[in-house]
Amino acid sequence: MATHLEKLSTPGRKDIPVEAGEEFGILDRVLRFLGLAGAIIPTAAVLFIAAVLLVSALPSILFNGLGFLYHQSWNFGNFYSSATVTHNGIQAPTGASYGALPIIIGTLLTSIIAFVIGVPIAVGSALILVEKVPPPLRRTLSFFLELLAGIPSVVYGLWGLIVLGPFLAGHIYPILARLGAIIPWLGPPVGSGLGLLTAGLILAVMIIPIVASTTRDLLSQVPVLPREGAVALGLTSWESVRLVSLPWVFSGIVGASILGWGRALGETMAVLIVSGNGANFLPQNIYSPVSTIAATIVALLDSAESDPTGLAVSALAEAGLILMLITLATNILARLMVRRVSSTSLPIGRGV
Amino acid sequence: MVKVTETMNLLSTEWEIERLPFPRPDDKTVDRRNGSHRTPPPIESQNYLNTQQAMLDQGVSKVQLTDLRVRFGEREILHGINARFIDQRITALIGPTGCGKTTLLRTLNRLNELVPGFHVEGRVELDGMDIYRDVRDVRDVRRRIGMLFQRPNPFPQSIEENIAIGLRAHHIVPRGEVHDEVERQLTEVGLWEAVKDKLSESPFGLSGGQQQLLCLARTLAVRPEVILLDEPTSSLDPVSTQRVEDLLVALKSRVSIVMVTHNVQQAARISDYIVFLYEGRVVEANTATEIFVNARNKVTEDFLTGRMG
Ligand SMILES: Nc1ncnc2c1ncn2[C@@H]1O[C@H](COP(=O)(O)OP(=O)(O)O)[C@@H](O)[C@H]1O
Ligand SMILES: [Mg+2]
Repeated sequence: MATHLEKLSTPGRKDIPVEAGEEFGILDRVLRFLGLAGAIIPTAAVLFIAAVLLVSALPSILFNGLGFLYHQSWNFGNFYSSATVTHNGIQAPTGASYGALPIIIGTLLTSIIAFVIGVPIAVGSALILVEKVPPPLRRTLSFFLELLAGIPSVVYGLWGLIVLGPFLAGHIYPILARLGAIIPWLGPPVGSGLGLLTAGLILAVMIIPIVASTTRDLLSQVPVLPREGAVALGLTSWESVRLVSLPWVFSGIVGASILGWGRALGETMAVLIVSGNGANFLPQNIYSPVSTIAATIVALLDSAESDPTGLAVSALAEAGLILMLITLATNILARLMVRRVSSTSLPIGRGV
Repeated sequence: MVKVTETMNLLSTEWEIERLPFPRPDDKTVDRRNGSHRTPPPIESQNYLNTQQAMLDQGVSKVQLTDLRVRFGEREILHGINARFIDQRITALIGPTGCGKTTLLRTLNRLNELVPGFHVEGRVELDGMDIYRDVRDVRDVRRRIGMLFQRPNPFPQSIEENIAIGLRAHHIVPRGEVHDEVERQLTEVGLWEAVKDKLSESPFGLSGGQQQLLCLARTLAVRPEVILLDEPTSSLDPVSTQRVEDLLVALKSRVSIVMVTHNVQQAARISDYIVFLYEGRVVEANTATEIFVNARNKVTEDFLTGRMG
């Protein structure tokens, strides 16, 4: 025991009990392990999910080839006939063909509409909240903003189906359709109010609270000093927002927007309800029924499971894989964009 | 005759008022030193008008404060300030921490209006025009009264834009000449050689001193008539400090300069006038020489000799 003590205590620090030192050591190791685990788990989870998707999608990838990306018709074939076809070593029910183009386009278009409408509104309302609204009112409005983020998507979907869709089809879309003479995609027919634009609008409403509350938090943390510098130079408050605050938090807003974009891409229930379920064809105009990858997976998964060859599920997995790749690609794109901008103007990593 | 440089050296070491060498060679107030002023009057600056007269002898007053009172919410910070800031001179605003120097400075360009609860009474006149009452365009007031802050605060824009923004906002030069004007302004503060190859880069890569010079260039670019500085060198290294001080002295011919400093030696080095603020009141205001040689108040003397914060 004595030798053990001697070995561990360092010269000049004999007053520190070895036991305490060991406890620290254990705690330290536990913390370090937790930190490491925290760093590894998200990465591992992403890789694991991607791997599982890839494995499940493999039969579909082999069977469909690149055609999956540009064919328009999605057909499971006849599950109940004993006749099957084989292509690239993959067995499929007769008549099976998988073309994901409409749902890829549907996913991208609904998300783009949501992004283009939602992000400016979100950033604008965050700006107004921070810059123009007195603090007590700001707290109230912020509360409702956060409430908006907490509404379940199926409720948004129902509201879209019962209220928003019919209202838009009855009152707004006919007016918008007159612009069809100038912008072809806006032309009639306006349909039932369930379709691309309605889905995009619902998605916009869903991403606004995410983007707005993040942007609001970012804006309220812009340092006072450069803002006052702008005012002291005789700039207007709008100029100081545009030239100082917004650039200051630009990368953060991009991050928040990408979160919103990711939410729009992956949103399932609300889109399923209000998109008009336009499978197997490309949208004709902005009111056309569409479907998205996420909505299609949910809508078709049940019946896909009765495919004896298993290819139907595999095809849905491939669609999921594509959705994941789209999300990943936009994330990387945003990151590159932020890096390019921040290298020229943003005070990242450099103190004032 | 003692040269200015020697004065500075003496001031920066331990010194006593009696042994201060004076006058500064360019000063015309030599003969006003006489024994009768030696007894410090009470704090409520009765001698104020006399010293104001002395200040006025030296030039035109550019900014004039009359019974200026400032409150934040219920709390009064400045309790009736009377002061004049002379054109083409440097006035140092000194006083212990918390006496209201920053508050006073920020009242002069209406920057305090951004602070909730700010309330001002009395008059702040720029060339005889009350900047709180007679002014329709507060932006132009802020252009005419520029400000340099305690720490550099460049905009998150390129180095060139930092200057160009003000030029465009106030239509200082035609659009086509903005770039040349940026070069001129950067040259004026001695920054051009250092940044000419990185005009499109972020100012946050510059050193603190360079950033502060950039901010000075940004302020000067919009042709101010008065420059307010709030401890402009407190975050800078000695070389940059020297540079800023030299620039300020050179700028005197064009503008009226009001500089808050906690550094008595800096005040001694470059200021022509000193306004000593204590607990929200002007205790003493006079030429720098007169203040250093002949402080009339015990508090002033205590502050100058470092017996007080
Ligand atoms: N925005 C503000 N709201 C309330 N009180 C303030 C504000 N700014 C300054 N004060 C108060 O005013 C007094 C003077 O502050 P300041 O002008 O910053 O002093 P100095 O610059 O001389 O150190 C201090 O007591 C400070 O607490
Ligand atoms: Mg201060």
